[in-house]
Order: sequence, then structure tokens, then C-alpha cells
Amino acid sequence: MERFIHSLVYVSALLVGTLPATGQTQSRRTADGKPDFSGVWQAVNTAARDLQDHSGQLGVPPGLGVVEGGEIPYQAAAAAKKADNFAHRATADPTEASCYLPGVPRATYMPFPFEIVQTPKQVAFIYEFAHALRNVPMDASPHPDGLPDAWMGDSRGHWEGDTLVTDVRNFNDQTWFDHAGNFHSDALHVVERYTLSGADHIQYEATIEDPKVFTRPWKISMPLYRRMEKNIRLLEYECVFYQQEEKFRNAPFHK
Amino acid sequence: MRTLSIAFMTAALALTPNVAPAQRAFTPARTSDGQPDLQGMYTRNGVVGLEAKPPVNPIDPGGSNPLSVSNRGDGLGPYPKVFGEGGTALRGGQRGAGQQHRTGIVDPPDRNLPWRPEEDAKRREFLLHMNPPVDLRHVELNARCALPGLFQGEDNNNPYQFLQEAGEVVILYDYNHTSRVIHLDGRPHLGSNIRLFMGDSIGRWEGNTLVVDTTNFNDRTSYSREIPYLTAALHTVERFTINDANSIDYEVTIDDPGLFTKPWKTAGYFTRVPKGTESLEFACAEGSQTLLNIFGPPPGR
Repeated sequence: MERFIHSLVYVSALLVGTLPATGQTQSRRTADGKPDFSGVWQAVNTAARDLQDHSGQLGVPPGLGVVEGGEIPYQAAAAAKKADNFAHRATADPTEASCYLPGVPRATYMPFPFEIVQTPKQVAFIYEFAHALRNVPMDASPHPDGLPDAWMGDSRGHWEGDTLVTDVRNFNDQTWFDHAGNFHSDALHVVERYTLSGADHIQYEATIEDPKVFTRPWKISMPLYRRMEKNIRLLEYECVFYQQEEKFRNAPFHK
Repeated sequence: MRTLSIAFMTAALALTPNVAPAQRAFTPARTSDGQPDLQGMYTRNGVVGLEAKPPVNPIDPGGSNPLSVSNRGDGLGPYPKVFGEGGTALRGGQRGAGQQHRTGIVDPPDRNLPWRPEEDAKRREFLLHMNPPVDLRHVELNARCALPGLFQGEDNNNPYQFLQEAGEVVILYDYNHTSRVIHLDGRPHLGSNIRLFMGDSIGRWEGNTLVVDTTNFNDRTSYSREIPYLTAALHTVERFTINDANSIDYEVTIDDPGLFTKPWKTAGYFTRVPKGTESLEFACAEGSQTLLNIFGPPPGR
């Protein structure tokens, strides 16, 4: 009985200790005083299928759009290309059909977790999908001249108050924003803004600018959620490897 | 892209002193959570080495120039040059004059690995079918743009970056945008049904040595071209010892009861690259025609 009472007291203390915390928006800070984004995060939406409002179909979950204002401001020729991409998406989507690196911002809202590694001089984004990786120097360095185009672009980061801002340029023209065929050219410029809206939520924004494809910059936004499992860690989704196994029908290895 | 990276590396090798300092205790800085600070960008050297009596290297049977697989005149070796560069790893067991670091297979000292005889025979037979590869399972992982496992990253070439945050050491490879997250929070290993190219890594600090215990490997990682596969029974214990401001000594115990009767050890070291060196994107699968070149278009396409 005494042990039971002790347990009750203990449980009550736990509740008292934890209840206020769940309601508060205070979040951890790193030793250098910045909001602490480290951990494993994931978008919970269907943006990787289609950034815009879409109804459900067999195998396609319905979803609310993430584009501010709803419309993506394509130039006329680009709108035709988007429509063509959509028609051929089953085989033409570089990420879904060929397992290629998803680019930015698509890597953020693929239906896979990603980890933010945060140090004062450098932030890294590690994505479970296709083990994509971004290095983000936080040292005020500029985008270097003369770099070859990259699938994930060249990212440089800085702080605006408590918001982690990345400036991403130097893309190739090979990635799509989603499976619906929304696309860009090699003139793409993305500015991402990560703001903690609580200890376990990030409000994510990406401003997309591409004068060869769009008539004006446009913006997507969505919450990102901390993966709360105690033993959470990134695993491996080796899309390319699995696809090779499928395409080339190999025998089981080393049997 | 590759040219830039190689240029960086050449500069790195030229600028990094190769001689260990006089024996005195080096005291590394501490991270904000009290870990010895090993952050920075390094090249890895010498980890992959040759056995005492290695089988013939299937990719370069003459052994003349493992660097230039694609330059062969005999039509063998269908790999693009980018993969051939990994061949520098084959030289890891050699020691240069004045070399202070241990490299390659260090235990047993005679480099005769404790093979199960039947597994050694199987492996030697397997190697005979790698060049040209008779099927997908005989294609090197590097040529498939797969995650490289712990050993087949690259020696003497693409850099590795170490980052530390509370409870984690993170290693970012330039090679094929690979990464490892080593958890220091005492969590248990993953359940046995989850198998990974890079394994599941749990670490702890012993003084200035980061000790990393890794399990949950799949059966598709390899040690070298001569040891082209390891089994899912693989268990490694790595020791990263901060040697001085510019180098980390590395030793790994390879325990794979599927192939060997007892554990063996290989060693190497990491040396810091010049300040300002940055990792560039190493996209691999996106441009690779390797499997198409080997096997032709997949059936039904």
C-alpha cells in the first residue's frame, strides 16, 4: 500500500512536471543562444504529390495545397511544359521514376524523415530519401563563383533573429517540385525560412524565384513536425539500389 | 566537379604534415556538451589494405595501375573512371618511408586473415566473375552508387567532415553524399530485422577516443575489392583517437563470424584538409550509365 501511494505521488509529480511543458512554446536553445533545430523532422502532407489543392484518386491521397494564394505563376510556355510533365509524370518525374536527388525544397516534404544537425559554423540537412545531404555553411560566405550546377543546389545559411534562413542557388534544371510536374530552370533561387513555433514544430517557408519559368516569386509554407519516438533515427531508403534490383532482376546476393 | 575536388585534395596532401609530433599528450578543445572536439574536414588514409596473400584483383588483374580502370586497352573493366579512383584504396596496406601511422590490416600482424576455409574459397570463386560481372550481384557497390558501408568510402580522396552536437557525432562524406549519425545517448541498437548499408552506430567517449559499436549491417557491404562482401553478422568496433590538432588515428575491429573464425583489425588515419575547403555535391546515380553499359537495357524496356 505504501508503495502504491509512493507510485501515485510519483506519477502526480510527473504529470505536474510535464503538463505545463506541453502547452508552452518555449523551446531549447543551443550553447550559442540560437533556437535548437537539431533532431529528426518530417512534413505530414501531400506536397510531394502535388503542391496545389488536389482531390483523392486511387493511390493518391487528397491534399490541401501549400502554395500561398493557391496559384503558381507560370509564364505561358512554362505552363504548357508543366501540363506535359503532368501527363507523363509516371515515367518523367526524376525523383519518383528514377530515384534522383529531389532538389530543394522537395527534399523537405518528401514522405520521409530528415535530420537537422546544427553547429555554430555549419548546419547540415540529412534526408532519409536517397541519403540526400545538404551542407549549409553559417559563416557568411557567399555562393562561390564557377561551381558546376548541383541537384541540391549550393546552400548558405544565416540567422534572422530566431529564424534560420538558407539561400540556395546553383541548381541544375533537372528536378521537379512535386509529382504533378511543377518544375524550374537552372535560374532557380530558393530562400528557405525555418522558424520554431514550439519545441516540436517548425514553421517552414520557401520562396521560389525563377525568372525563366515564373512571372514573379511565389511561396510555399507548411509546418514540420518533430518525430517524437524516443529511439528515432534515420534509416536508409536506397531508392536507386532497389530500382536496380527491380530493373536488372538479380539473384539474391551471396547465397 | 571532380576536378575541383581532386584539386582540393592535392592541395590538402601537400599541406598536411605527414609526421606525427613528438609523443606528448594533446588536449583537444571541448564541445559545449563536453565532448573532445574533433570537428572539421579530413581525408581518410590507409584504412583498406591488402591481405598477405590476396586473390588476384579482379578489376585490375595485372595490378599495374588500379587508378585507371577505364584506361584499360583490353575492353575489360567497364567502369567509368570516377569509380576507378577508388582503387587507391588498394595501396592502403603499404607504408611509406617515415610513415608514423598504422595503416591497413594490423591484426593479425602477418595479415593472414582468419578466413573460414570454405568462405575464402567461395570468395575467390566469386571474384572470378566480377570482371566482367556475370550479374548484378557481381557489380561493385561503388559502381552501383550504393552507400559504401564503413570501409569503401574513399581513402586518399574525397574528404570526410565531422560535426558534433549534443549527444551525437555526425560524419558527412563527400563520397556519394553519404552520412553517419553516431548516437552517444546510450540507446540500444535497432531490432535485428532492420538491416543497413552503414549499420547502426552507438558511440561513447573513452578519454580522447570515440569508440563506436556498429551492428545491423545488411549482407551487401564490402571491405575491399579483394573482400567483395561481408555478411549481415558483421559487428564492428571503431576507435577514433584524436592524435593532435590535425589528425585522428583510426582502428576498427571487424568481427564477421559468417566469414572469419575470429575478429581482425585494420587501421588508418584522418588528416585535416586546409581551412576553407568545402565539400561539393557528389551526385552518382543521376549520371551513371554503368549498369546499362554492362547489362544493356533492362528486360521489358
